[in-house]
Amino acid sequence: MEPSGLGIAFSLLTDPVVLGLIVAGTVAGVIIGALPGLSSSMGVALLLPFSLYLEPVPAIALLSALYCAGTFGGSITAVLINAPGAPPAVATAFDGYPMALKGEAGRALGIAAVSSVSGGIISVLTLLLAAPLLARIAYSFGPPEYFALGVFALSMLASIGAESALKNLIGGCLGLLIATVGIDLTTGVERFTFGVPQLLEGVQFIPVLIGLFAVTELLNQARHLGRESVSATMSALRLPSREDFRRVRNTILRSSGIGVFVGVLPAEGSTMAAMIGYNEAKRWSKAPEEFGKGSIEGVAGPEAANNAATGGAMVPTLALGIPGSATAAVILGGLQVQGLRPGPYLFEEQPTLLYGIFLAMLLANILFLFIGLFGAKVFSRISLVPRTFLWPTVFALCLVGAYGLNQSMVDVWIMIVSGLVGYVLKRNGFGPAPIIMGIVLGGLIETSLAQSLIIFDQQWSGFLRQPIAAGLLLAAVSVGGRPLRRFLGGLLARTAGSARRA
Amino acid sequence: MKRPLHLLANRDSLAGVAVVGVCAVAWRLTAGFDEVPAILSQNVPPTFFPRLVIGTAALLGGLLVAGGIRRCAREAADQAAADDPSTPIDKARGAVLPPPVFWATAGLIAAAGVLVPLVGTLFTLGLVAIALPLLWGERRFRLVLALALGLPGAIYVVFTVALGVRFPVGQVWNLL
Repeated sequence: MEPSGLGIAFSLLTDPVVLGLIVAGTVAGVIIGALPGLSSSMGVALLLPFSLYLEPVPAIALLSALYCAGTFGGSITAVLINAPGAPPAVATAFDGYPMALKGEAGRALGIAAVSSVSGGIISVLTLLLAAPLLARIAYSFGPPEYFALGVFALSMLASIGAESALKNLIGGCLGLLIATVGIDLTTGVERFTFGVPQLLEGVQFIPVLIGLFAVTELLNQARHLGRESVSATMSALRLPSREDFRRVRNTILRSSGIGVFVGVLPAEGSTMAAMIGYNEAKRWSKAPEEFGKGSIEGVAGPEAANNAATGGAMVPTLALGIPGSATAAVILGGLQVQGLRPGPYLFEEQPTLLYGIFLAMLLANILFLFIGLFGAKVFSRISLVPRTFLWPTVFALCLVGAYGLNQSMVDVWIMIVSGLVGYVLKRNGFGPAPIIMGIVLGGLIETSLAQSLIIFDQQWSGFLRQPIAAGLLLAAVSVGGRPLRRFLGGLLARTAGSARRA
Repeated sequence: MKRPLHLLANRDSLAGVAVVGVCAVAWRLTAGFDEVPAILSQNVPPTFFPRLVIGTAALLGGLLVAGGIRRCAREAADQAAADDPSTPIDKARGAVLPPPVFWATAGLIAAAGVLVPLVGTLFTLGLVAIALPLLWGERRFRLVLALALGLPGAIYVVFTVALGVRFPVGQVWNLL
């Protein structure tokens, strides 16, 4: 990247409109994160169609700011009402809510804010350093490496949750299949279009995204009407004292490292980073018995980790075009819809955009500290917004967002069907994130596989002759093959047990 | 001793069966793709990648079925030890059925898709802003009315006036 890119991006971000958008994105992110049921993934998905009316730099800066702030926003309701606004804040509630019940809500939120900001800033600095390096390595990648990378990213879905590994992989396959809808670019043959002309260019990404995230959650809310939470009171948010900071300093640094690492891994997101951050904070703590009863380390650990994962997740997203998390997949889709080509060449073609994203994320991380400090009390009241008024508004945004992109009713129906199907899938353990990953990676995987097979003259063994591709495919088999190995292992153990009994 | 069908009556196995079924349908659909000479497709026909994905999904679906059966058999053995007469089907039925408000909400979402071309986007949004809160038990009628007027109004100002998005007006109004 040329150093001038940083200067241009900096001057772009000092533009009052862009600055205003980043502030708006940060405030919206904290609000969306704080609202139970609304996550940063859904917020970015809902905002994506409207961001298309903006230039690429402010559009992606807006989405990135919302991504960072949304991850922090979830901690507010996690601490105050034991209802994490977003999945990454689940672990924060383990100790944040007990602290709030003891009358230490302000202290818990202060720790959460400082830990989130620290984790976020560390991750953005990592992004700034690691993304160009990774992109430089990726310059030498050809179709076989990209195919292997895509398969590796999908195989990582198996490690998101041990119990749902198979379902995540099936979700990824469903996403890949959705990505094949439309005209095959090599042969010009229509696939799964059912004679609908609007499907010739494929299923639009944004309506599916809105349906899977927002409409599915709307139906989920309809199912769980009447659930009430007990809200803890808070006088004011308090910055950590010197003693508190000394106690959580190492936890923040450790969890930030964990968050960045987990975030960089394709498909792994903030939720997993937060859980690992919490467990490691407990493991390394001098007072593990306090965990679950209101430990400040139990708040700092997951909060630093989940925010650190945001910057980490953007590293493969920008450098390789492989999303590091569900929200990063949505942002990646946003880059593609804007006509940009995520991957190593983005660093040559759009240095301003990349520096714009880095700076916007850095700014968002600093901003939400102040927004958190001064606005936590107000934001804590957001959870009091009646669902009966919130969700019709969300549905209106879904409808307008799905329609507005191409001004097509087919997109509205795609959104509705995606939402209904997404709900059925979610009820049966199939989350939306793997499907989105599959859709985003589908084009890359199919194209690079076809190109590779042409290069290798239809010999699959050609992949084994490429060291990077072979290594990635081996890693993919190792990670993605885990459910099959577990199944076969269980079968063997049972057979051996029966034989012994006989 | 459980009958084989009862071993299938668990969420994972049923989901796996559904996955395999969807894969079978999708595979059948790929058979309807136009055929292309190998020279044109460079030996990578348009069915190649979809079938690779469908085959993988079917394999994973099969594993899901098998895993569910194994778990169900284990649970059935535990259940027999605990002398619980209810079948997995009974338990699944009790746990799965959503309340009527859920079905009404799903119906309302689908109805919105039907209504947009008929009465227009903004009018539909107004109707949803009335129907959904009432359906979900909201009884502050003035607030509901304010939402029903304010939401389409705000959408019109932001999107039509500011961003130039033209929403369908609705065939019904064109007829009047």
